Amino acid sequence: MIEIGLNAYILLSVVLFAIGFFGVLVRKNTLVIYICLELMLVAATLALVAFSRYNGTMDGNVFVFFILTVAAAEVAVGLAIIVALFRKRMTVQVDKLNALKN
Amino acid sequence: MTPVQQALLILLIPLASAAIIALFLRRKGGLATIVSMVAAAAIAGLSLSLIAGGERFTQSWEWMQLGGLTISIGFKFDDLAALMLFVVSFVGFFIHLFSVGYMHDDKARARYFGGLSIFMFSMIGIVFADNLFMMFIFWELVGFSSYLLINHYHEKQSAADASKKAFIVNRVGDFGFLLGIILCYWTYGTVNLTELGMISDSGGLVYSKLIPLLLFCGAVGKSAQMPLQVWLPDAMEGPTPVSALIHAATMVAAGIFMLCRIEVLMVPEALNIIMWIGTATALYAALCAIVQSDIKKVLAYSTLSQLGYMVAAFGLGSLVFEQDGKDVLIFAGVGAAMFHLTTHAFFKALLFLGSGSVIHGCHHEQDIFQMGGLRKKMPITFLTFTIGVLAIIGMPGLAGFFSKDAILLLAMRNNTAVFAILLFTAILTAFYMVRMWKLVFFGATRSDNAAKSHESGLSMTLPLMVLAGLAIIGGYTGIYRKLAGSVADLVPHAHGSEHTLILVTSIVVLLIGSLGAWAYYKPGTKDTLEQNSNGLFNSLTTLKESFDALYGYYVAKVQQRFAMLLNFLEQIFLAGLIIRGFSGLVGLLGLGARALHLGSLHAYVHWFLLGIVLLWVLTSGLF
Repeated sequence: MIEIGLNAYILLSVVLFAIGFFGVLVRKNTLVIYICLELMLVAATLALVAFSRYNGTMDGNVFVFFILTVAAAEVAVGLAIIVALFRKRMTVQVDKLNALKN
Repeated sequence: MTPVQQALLILLIPLASAAIIALFLRRKGGLATIVSMVAAAAIAGLSLSLIAGGERFTQSWEWMQLGGLTISIGFKFDDLAALMLFVVSFVGFFIHLFSVGYMHDDKARARYFGGLSIFMFSMIGIVFADNLFMMFIFWELVGFSSYLLINHYHEKQSAADASKKAFIVNRVGDFGFLLGIILCYWTYGTVNLTELGMISDSGGLVYSKLIPLLLFCGAVGKSAQMPLQVWLPDAMEGPTPVSALIHAATMVAAGIFMLCRIEVLMVPEALNIIMWIGTATALYAALCAIVQSDIKKVLAYSTLSQLGYMVAAFGLGSLVFEQDGKDVLIFAGVGAAMFHLTTHAFFKALLFLGSGSVIHGCHHEQDIFQMGGLRKKMPITFLTFTIGVLAIIGMPGLAGFFSKDAILLLAMRNNTAVFAILLFTAILTAFYMVRMWKLVFFGATRSDNAAKSHESGLSMTLPLMVLAGLAIIGGYTGIYRKLAGSVADLVPHAHGSEHTLILVTSIVVLLIGSLGAWAYYKPGTKDTLEQNSNGLFNSLTTLKESFDALYGYYVAKVQQRFAMLLNFLEQIFLAGLIIRGFSGLVGLLGLGARALHLGSLHAYVHWFLLGIVLLWVLTSGLF
């Protein structure tokens, strides 16, 4: 079994986070932006697990459980908002959602 | 009930009455009248029993502590306060009673009676005050209630103006009063009247002209002495019973009462100035009274003139002289001034109420040239009014005679010039009073209103009769001593040839004035003086108006210009530089912030990224 070091996990986490953030920056579809946000959250979770393993404590793992629970609830609410938004505006493109401007 | 509780009750009953009326009875005139009447009757009853009880006390409670300054509320109930309390509560009660009839058809009766109650509260506060701070608080309160009551017919522009004038002119005097109180505290460390008296007894007083003169400013405003006399004639816009209560019998006399309270602080120079101001006011007002055609204005100027007498008496009689190397104060001025204050309260309230009865009977006609012949139509009013007139002109045997003679005696002993002026004023007093009396009650009726006049009801004639009784007997030593106690002993008395001289002089003066007026004035719709000697009439009218013109000129030309200059500066610096400047700055910031608000989610994410990078740069310590 190949021993994978902490650095590899952190690197993966950073890459995931960067992909997620890049997605938020460039994508126009709210749904996709939302998926990218989730990606960033997962990146952070991964880093927590990796540190927890490295330190040999359970602190990070416990955190992750909470994050997963909250994330599940958050996804439900977030998707519901996006669905409601689509019903009202017939679009989820962010550059069209600028009713508050002016 | 201990005397202190009784005094507290006397002070608080009118306040409670005013509060009840203001909170619950604003639209219920009848109930408000009853509440106020009951309060006035309770005050009168309690006061009489307190005065007759003979108990004199001082009692003080600490009210608030501000650093080293302690303000207390307390009662100083000596013979002086007892006398004043009698005048306020007794005359006040009968004026309440008179108001019931006089204001019967008034729509705003509740407001009127609420005003009377708050006035009684304030005035009694002044009477009981044991220190100058407390006196000042109630001093302002009487000013406020006077404002309320002058303004009773507030739909009339002239009444609204008059109330403002009274308030503002009083403010000028009160400013001096307040400065005097502060200076007194600064100098002696106390404003308690009893403690000031003790300091004076131990010879610890600093020789200061400024303190008594500044305190006197308060009296100049409240008692309408020159040069602040202008508000009192205008205050006649209020209902007539108010003029009787506030602007004749009690509030305007508060200035004299206050002077008597601070007598120990007086020094010769200050007394000299006070004496001359009083004398000048007496003469000036008497001259003005001659050309008035409004029955209430005549009485207003006569009140001014009599107040001048009292102030002059105070200045004359409270002379300080050196004896065995010590300054000794004689209190004859207090005696004479308070004596005249008391008798004046009786006969002037009587005259005002009489004029109220006349005005009420004549359907609110106030011009004496439109009256005439009321002798037959209003017999009780005529009789009582005549007693009032005789009392004020000093007919021997009536109240005014004794008190006026006491003042003239002081003048004769101390200052010949003042004596001459006061004698001349006495001639004028007899002259204008008889003029008014003759024009109102004699000759033919000269207008429809007067022809349709009728005698007033019992609630109005009863106060007239009681006050007429007091105007007759109030001056006799036995009766006055019962009211005034030790204050009565301060009244100067003439003996021997002095007595004969003063008696003869005052009778001669009385005869010249009254017979002159009786012979000169022919009842008609025109002033006889105006017809026969226009120049003299006009100069007297000008004299009356010159003060108003002077103040009008000052306000319009000097004060207004100064205010405009201040306004200009304010526009530039405050409104321009500071307010506009700051708002411009904030607006500019807002303009910048608004540019960030693009409405594009991606723009915000970029800003967010930039923020994170900046934060990272800062925390990483690269810079």
